[in-house]
Amino acid sequence: MASRYDRAITVFSPDGHLFQVEYAQEAVKKGSTAVGIRGSNIVVLGVEKKSVAKLQDERTVRKICALDDHVCMAFAGLTADARVVITKARVECQSHKLTVEDPVTVEYITRFIATLKQKYTQSNGRRPFGISALIVGFDDDGIPRLYQTDPSGTYHAWKANAIGRSAKTVREFLEKNYTEDAIANDNEAIKLAIRALLEVVQSGGKNIDLAIMRRNQPLKMFSAKEIESQVIAIEKEKEEAEKKKPKKNL
Amino acid sequence: MAATFFGEVVKAPCRAGTEDEEEEAEGRADTPEDREVRRQLARKREVRLFRRQTRSSLEVSLLEKYPCSKFIIAVGNNAVAFLSSFVMNSGVWEEVGCAKLWNEWCRTTDTVHLSPAEAFCVFYHLKSNPSVFLCQCSCYVAEDQQYQWLEKVFGSCPKKNMQVTILTCRHVTDYKTPESTSSLHPPFLKALKTQNSKESPCCSLLEQPNIVHDLPAAVLSYCQVWKIPAILYLCYTDVMKLDLITAEAFKPVLSSRSLKGLVKNIPQSTEILKKLVATNEVQSNIYT
Repeated sequence: MASRYDRAITVFSPDGHLFQVEYAQEAVKKGSTAVGIRGSNIVVLGVEKKSVAKLQDERTVRKICALDDHVCMAFAGLTADARVVITKARVECQSHKLTVEDPVTVEYITRFIATLKQKYTQSNGRRPFGISALIVGFDDDGIPRLYQTDPSGTYHAWKANAIGRSAKTVREFLEKNYTEDAIANDNEAIKLAIRALLEVVQSGGKNIDLAIMRRNQPLKMFSAKEIESQVIAIEKEKEEAEKKKPKKNL
Repeated sequence: MAATFFGEVVKAPCRAGTEDEEEEAEGRADTPEDREVRRQLARKREVRLFRRQTRSSLEVSLLEKYPCSKFIIAVGNNAVAFLSSFVMNSGVWEEVGCAKLWNEWCRTTDTVHLSPAEAFCVFYHLKSNPSVFLCQCSCYVAEDQQYQWLEKVFGSCPKKNMQVTILTCRHVTDYKTPESTSSLHPPFLKALKTQNSKESPCCSLLEQPNIVHDLPAAVLSYCQVWKIPAILYLCYTDVMKLDLITAEAFKPVLSSRSLKGLVKNIPQSTEILKKLVATNEVQSNIYT
């Protein structure tokens, strides 16, 4: 019966579904995986790099973008929709700074993006944005934040979350492995993000992009070498953990 | 003629034919130009079978020239990818012919030098058992060309002692079922066989009122008429482009009588299929 209620965004189905919004959530699943982790003093964004065509300039295919000096986001879904949302968010960050003379809080800009997305679920002639975003950053109080928005316009704060293609698998990994020890220091938080992505990314470290943000510091993108060295350290730890496992006697 | 409520007399459409029909027929008389255009179009749309190595056309139909006990036909890119990875990589296959045809669905306008690189219809036989034939057909065979294709491949009097297996895909939106569509989990296989086929299919049979379309339907109908045992495996999928999960959905067919013995190393074949799908993946920048 979905077919009668899924043409217009403004039409509810008899059982309360907004099918266009749900279809937009399916579009998000077509984007590659992105993971966000909130550490004690660091926020980490890791993304599965999309395989780029031979003649394409890799720099123009980015899933992690800065919205301001202290806020950045990663998205999954329709590239063009993401570009529009990011542009609007960046303008809002500067407008807020000029008007109120304070940088935006992470929650404020998340709420702005979520409100924008919600508007597009309630207007005739428009379709919802087909992206989910992970927004990370530090507020003036120095506390790290991680928020996630989705095409329906909802937003929630998370300790760690994943969006995109294999988000469910990554989220289950995070639920098992996100402990206070795992985010005890910055390096552990970075390793947790990479380990989560390695669960679903094919051919390892060279298909991962990573960015971190520390208090009062701008966004830092990891180079391929740095990611590779982290991956090697993770593989080493895995091997050692395997060796330490007591062999079962049959 | 008919009268409306308001008293107007209007010309009512009549399927039985009108008095004007004779006048219209006279106006439609064929000019020599029309006939020439129709001849040229018919020549353009001709299905030709030839050997690529010798560049010579086949004078007789393919299965009249070569004896055949098993004929496996893959129609569509997912079925072709499946056969390429699982069957063709498990043995040495020799190309015996290629069908050249043009229709409006072909992307090329050159009807003389059609390259089999993009859309093709190639025939192979197994070197170690030359009566086993395989056809990879990734081009669209139009309705008016299907009969020609059948004639050129099977001939006008086909032998009945062969087993035909056809693999093809169809979009799941074409599948009619009284169940709710949320209970469907594409891709899934359905089978349809001719009366003479004694093989028990490796999946459930296609239910009414679903029908098969295009070349697979033409082959199956032909086999039914000529009492050739044939079975069609139809994969309903929600992804029409080349897709790993769709191609792998044909795996249950490997246990069928027709394909048994033709496939050797399944894990290796799965890897080959993955590589094939990855190399053929069109770069899409819509989703990131």
